[in-house]
Amino acid sequence: MVEPSHIPQDLTACPDCDMLIQTLPSEKHLEGHCPRCNAVLWYSAKHTDTISFAAAISGLILFYPAITLPILKLSMVGQRGSNSLIGGIYRMWLENEHSLAALIMLCSLIAPFMHLLLTAIVCFSVRINHFPAHFPLWIKYIRWMQSWSMLEVYAMGIIVAYVKMMHDGEISVSGGTYCLSALLVCVILCSQYFHEELVWQHWEKHKTA
Amino acid sequence: MTISAQQRGIARCNDCGKLSHLQILDNKIAAACPRCGSALSFRKPQSLQRSWAYTLAALALLIPANMLPILTVISFGQGDPDTIMSGVVKLWVSDLQAIAAIVFIASIAVPVLKLIILVILMLVVQLQLPLSRQQCTVLYRFIHFIGRWSMLDLFMISILVTLVHLGNIATVESGPAATAFAAVVVITLFAANSFDPRLIWDLDND
Repeated sequence: MVEPSHIPQDLTACPDCDMLIQTLPSEKHLEGHCPRCNAVLWYSAKHTDTISFAAAISGLILFYPAITLPILKLSMVGQRGSNSLIGGIYRMWLENEHSLAALIMLCSLIAPFMHLLLTAIVCFSVRINHFPAHFPLWIKYIRWMQSWSMLEVYAMGIIVAYVKMMHDGEISVSGGTYCLSALLVCVILCSQYFHEELVWQHWEKHKTA
Repeated sequence: MTISAQQRGIARCNDCGKLSHLQILDNKIAAACPRCGSALSFRKPQSLQRSWAYTLAALALLIPANMLPILTVISFGQGDPDTIMSGVVKLWVSDLQAIAAIVFIASIAVPVLKLIILVILMLVVQLQLPLSRQQCTVLYRFIHFIGRWSMLDLFMISILVTLVHLGNIATVESGPAATAFAAVVVITLFAANSFDPRLIWDLDND
């Protein structure tokens, strides 16, 4: 029932309003918006896979220190406390908040990690022109992981926790925060420069060969 | 003047964005995208039913999430349970207005606004209300962008519970509202994802 061959390459359907749009090749330079609902239809891509690949690898290197090093340190009346990302999840689990611990683990640990790892693998596969089995599935997982990766919200959570405890004791920022900030930059670069449509086109062109 | 892809019998793949011709035989669509293999359909399947179900579930869960204590600070043996709102008020009176505003927006304003906007959008589609299609699409993009920020409170709890674990001096414990609130956040994310904005524009095409 599917006849893909009849649809010309320069025809696009807007993802938000389903309007059919003819895109001239000369228009494909910067960024294209839907004339009816203003959704982004296409954007330019120069050296994008290089940047997202580099950002993904740097992010993966930073991942271990970012989640294990202490993020904040607190001292109150001679007692000291500190927390790390993974420690927070473990503590929630110990306090019998299993579903909450699992959700936080997904959003702040598994999703960002898998997002970086899968992006690195996909960019590398495109580079060497060799596609692993179930390649389309991997690209779909990138999008799913990206939507659940919420490290930027976690960073805001650190700021709120810091300000909240400011008056109660001596609180200081520790190594984990710096690693986490750098990791956050990598995650943002990785998702900003990853061009899904180009990867799909590349895959479509080379999958039979 | 404007023609939707559906009117031409063209479906856009929800996963990879490829256009394919799609024919409906006996109201049963069983076609896969030739590029990525996902199931093809003109619109997200059962979009309205799913969004309504998630929205109603989230509305019900908002009650325990806001009524029950979410965080208990125990210092020198004395417990002090806080609901979401009383936590915000406490931040406000202790001269941390900026942080109070952030927490209020992330944990109260965003989930409530999101549910209101979803209900408006679904009513527009179901009752064919004459609201601006452009503005409805902007609202849809807004709830998509803002939804994840509700997780802020949960991350903050996870940080505080570990950080303030100082034996007799002070400890922080999470309360039953935390799980309910987490459910609200996740269910509203599902609700926003299952709503198809193209349904709004379809009203003009009929």
